[in-house]
Amino acid sequence: MKKLVLSLATTVALALTGSAQAQSKYPEKPITMIVPFAAGGPTDIIARIVGENMSKTLGQQVVIENVAGAGGTTGITRALTATPDGYTIAMGHLGTFSAAPATYPGLKYDPINGMQPIGLAGGTPILIVARKNFEPKDLKEFVAYVKTNTDKVNEAHAGVGSVSWTTCTLLKGQLGVPKLNAVAYRGTGPALNDLVSGQIDFMCDQIVSVAEQVKADTIKAYAIASTERSPALPNVPTTKEAGLPEYQIEAWNGIAAPKGTPKEVVDRLVDALDKALKDEGVKKRLLDLGTVMPSAEERTPAGFGALIKRDADKLSPTLAAAPK
Amino acid sequence: MSEMIAHLQLGFGVALSLQNIALAFAGCLVGTLIGVLPGVGPIATIAMLLPITFGLDPVGALIMLAGIYYGAQYGGSTTAILVNIPGEATAVVTTLDGHQMAKQGRAGVALGTAALGSFFAGCVATLIIAALGAPLTKLALLFGPAEYFSLMVMGLCFAVVLARGSILKAFCMIMLGLLLSTIGTDLETGQERMTFGFPPLSDGIDFAVLAMGVFGFAEVLRNLENPETRDVVRAKIGRLLPDWNDIKQSFLPVVRGTAIGGILGILPGNGAVLGPFASYTIEKKIAKDPSRFGRGAIEGVAGPESANNAGAQTAFIPLLTLGIPPNAVMALMVGAMTIHGIIPGPQVMTKNPELFWGMIASMWIGNLMLLIINLPLVGVWVKLLQVPYRLMFPAILIFCCIGIYSVNNQPVDVAFTALFGLFGYILIKLGFEPAPMLLGFVLGKLMEEKLRQALIISRGSFMTFIERPISGGLLAVAVIILVVALLPSISQKRDEVFTE
Amino acid sequence: MSLNTIERAQGLRVRSQQDLAAGLFMILLSVVALFLASDLPMGSLRQIGPGMLPKAFAVICAGLGVLLALSSLRYNGEKLSGWSWRGVIFVLGGAVVFGLTIRGFDLGPIKVPQLGLVVSGPLVVLISGLAADDRKIKELVIFAIVMTTFCALLFKYALGLPIPLAPWLLGI
Repeated sequence: MKKLVLSLATTVALALTGSAQAQSKYPEKPITMIVPFAAGGPTDIIARIVGENMSKTLGQQVVIENVAGAGGTTGITRALTATPDGYTIAMGHLGTFSAAPATYPGLKYDPINGMQPIGLAGGTPILIVARKNFEPKDLKEFVAYVKTNTDKVNEAHAGVGSVSWTTCTLLKGQLGVPKLNAVAYRGTGPALNDLVSGQIDFMCDQIVSVAEQVKADTIKAYAIASTERSPALPNVPTTKEAGLPEYQIEAWNGIAAPKGTPKEVVDRLVDALDKALKDEGVKKRLLDLGTVMPSAEERTPAGFGALIKRDADKLSPTLAAAPK
Repeated sequence: MSEMIAHLQLGFGVALSLQNIALAFAGCLVGTLIGVLPGVGPIATIAMLLPITFGLDPVGALIMLAGIYYGAQYGGSTTAILVNIPGEATAVVTTLDGHQMAKQGRAGVALGTAALGSFFAGCVATLIIAALGAPLTKLALLFGPAEYFSLMVMGLCFAVVLARGSILKAFCMIMLGLLLSTIGTDLETGQERMTFGFPPLSDGIDFAVLAMGVFGFAEVLRNLENPETRDVVRAKIGRLLPDWNDIKQSFLPVVRGTAIGGILGILPGNGAVLGPFASYTIEKKIAKDPSRFGRGAIEGVAGPESANNAGAQTAFIPLLTLGIPPNAVMALMVGAMTIHGIIPGPQVMTKNPELFWGMIASMWIGNLMLLIINLPLVGVWVKLLQVPYRLMFPAILIFCCIGIYSVNNQPVDVAFTALFGLFGYILIKLGFEPAPMLLGFVLGKLMEEKLRQALIISRGSFMTFIERPISGGLLAVAVIILVVALLPSISQKRDEVFTE
Repeated sequence: MSLNTIERAQGLRVRSQQDLAAGLFMILLSVVALFLASDLPMGSLRQIGPGMLPKAFAVICAGLGVLLALSSLRYNGEKLSGWSWRGVIFVLGGAVVFGLTIRGFDLGPIKVPQLGLVVSGPLVVLISGLAADDRKIKELVIFAIVMTTFCALLFKYALGLPIPLAPWLLGI
């Protein structure tokens, strides 16, 4: 036992020599940004791009920790139950912050009242895409076709709780065809593969996942569910232009901290995020991904909180009623 | 043909810059060194090393990342051979005969054969991609849910042949693997299945957790029980490299493995995972003395390792030509490309030719590096076997713990692995082989997904699996494999009864 | 396959303890699975429900288990060999301790603080190392320190993984 204690002491001493602790204001050690999805996904990429720049402003490394599981709710739960000292924050998205309460009944966090929003990092428009030779030529025809051929149409999504499932469920709810044949895939990739090869008819997904396929003409896009056309795909009309104005949804990504995080810490983080989004390099990389830059309002905790609540109100009724 | 040469010239022009060669070398080296740690599989290795490529230019970053990928793959095979711990599904097959060879003092030969076989497969696969990448894409698009389901059924039939002992017990393990694969949230309805209401189970069981448990931990327990056998391993070292006889013996398996792995790798639904299993099945079936398999047959390492490497490489075809990642590793590649501002899609080939052909050329360079790095390293790895076991297994354990923790940063995963270690130990005691279970587990998730997709699309008609020609053909092959595998064993059992 | 005469003369008895235990083990697992899956809807062929495959696989597993148990009455096989619980307890226990201490754990009344790699690393090496017959405590202690230092340098500093080192002491 004595030896064990001795060994521990030696190890500790060894580890200590490497890091002299500085005593200063927040942040005085690396900040962990939890990304609730696997490395390499859209949320992870945005987190890494923004986090890298935030590190410069904060003077401490923003370390990305991927904690994947249960549609992102595992990671967000861990982040929001951490000590509210600003050293653990999370990059969540539409699904984990607005849709999760309606999708996961046993959710252990409350994104509306039990969380400190920091700000929006970027909006990702949603597209309605279909296989190349699917009969309807435009969105109006598509709406009519789906309504009259409910039994013929096959919809693809990337699993319950995914962005494509959430946004498509909203679309089906608005069209009044909640019981369309829904084919579940493990992720966007395989779903896209079957859309390209014509096995299934249509799906809804983020612009970053489908834009290259649309450009290469392997699939077609009916509309983009945002107020303005995307510079990445200037030929694709908005839902408003194409005749379905009520379908407005974005798969945004944003940063949040546990409730009770001190105000000065929140201010530092808001400032760092704002500086990152104003940086030309960051901006270019985000725009390349088809991201819509957040407005000044949405970069504030209040504005981001309002966005979370607005989308939660929009999604909750259809998601709760969706056939699962 | 001349077009291909022009393309390859462009590619080698990019890849042979001093900086890119250095990156390929560094990637292979780091990938090997991290991938060889027990408990750290290729996916974990790539995820860990991904950030170090962020500072590079896109082409250099991808070349380095591809190097890391090959290195990690080969490092994983090394672990499978030396300590019987497969880092990913495809390395499961390598453990069967590779580790047996190591136990007989032929670890160096096994490692050398794997390296040479992989190099051959890599060269061929590079040429295939360069010459036929674009047309082969059509093959990928012919495969819908019904075809994948049939392919998975065929894969499960391979698992029967994999078994060393009783066929009945192999069936048990396959079904148990399938059963385990259904644990977790249902993809289609979001309902939790058999999770005991325990959140960490809601995404199902991680492959690394299961494999590390039933192979890695259980193997440690088994060795602790039999101190004699593990010391025998240490006493014998044997030759470090394969001799002419070994090469002659493994040449045809390498060629066959390359062909099988290369074809299966093109399928975007992670068909590559079947390559080594298929290769092993075929080698065992055409061998003059199938009983050598599972006891250190060199063909059982040469074939599957070549299939593995060929598949690992042709898996780039769907990614590069369709822009669709066929497996978790390729999904990471997509992430890496996206972070560098290249969003993979069908137009990468025309829009970024220097990237596309540079990467293909660097595949070949990467394979060469792998050979250059690993042949000298064989000696080092074999030396590692001489570490006394009383120190070796605590080291394996700490690497496993950190590796498993790092995959999802979830401490619960480590505890789960221990639980599966106990499970694996019980299986060993009951005379079960874990390899068919792992195959069942890997294929189970895909199989259920594809079955349900196919039936929704066909509106509940099972005929879809028979009517579609490719699907029907695959099912026919499955039946043939099964009959061929079962017939001798039934008659054998009878013999045993009669001789009693 | 019918029993041959010699078989019949010997009557039915357990000829392979191992196979019988294996069969019973399969049956046990299937029953657990069936119980856990009992509330999952089967769905229809057109829309297979979440319960269809788990239940089907469990039933097949049970069937195979029965076959295995029956065949143990017919074919000779191996006996169950001894179990070494020391290995199980120390090796698997070491891994569990690592999992519990690396980030801390909160399981009802039991609270483990976040100890980090600096503590969890030596613990897993020391505890598991006790399982070997030929263990040497002094050597093991030194080895634990060396391995932990190596892993901390490699994973935390060289690779930059977000693995806690010693949050209670170093803040990281």
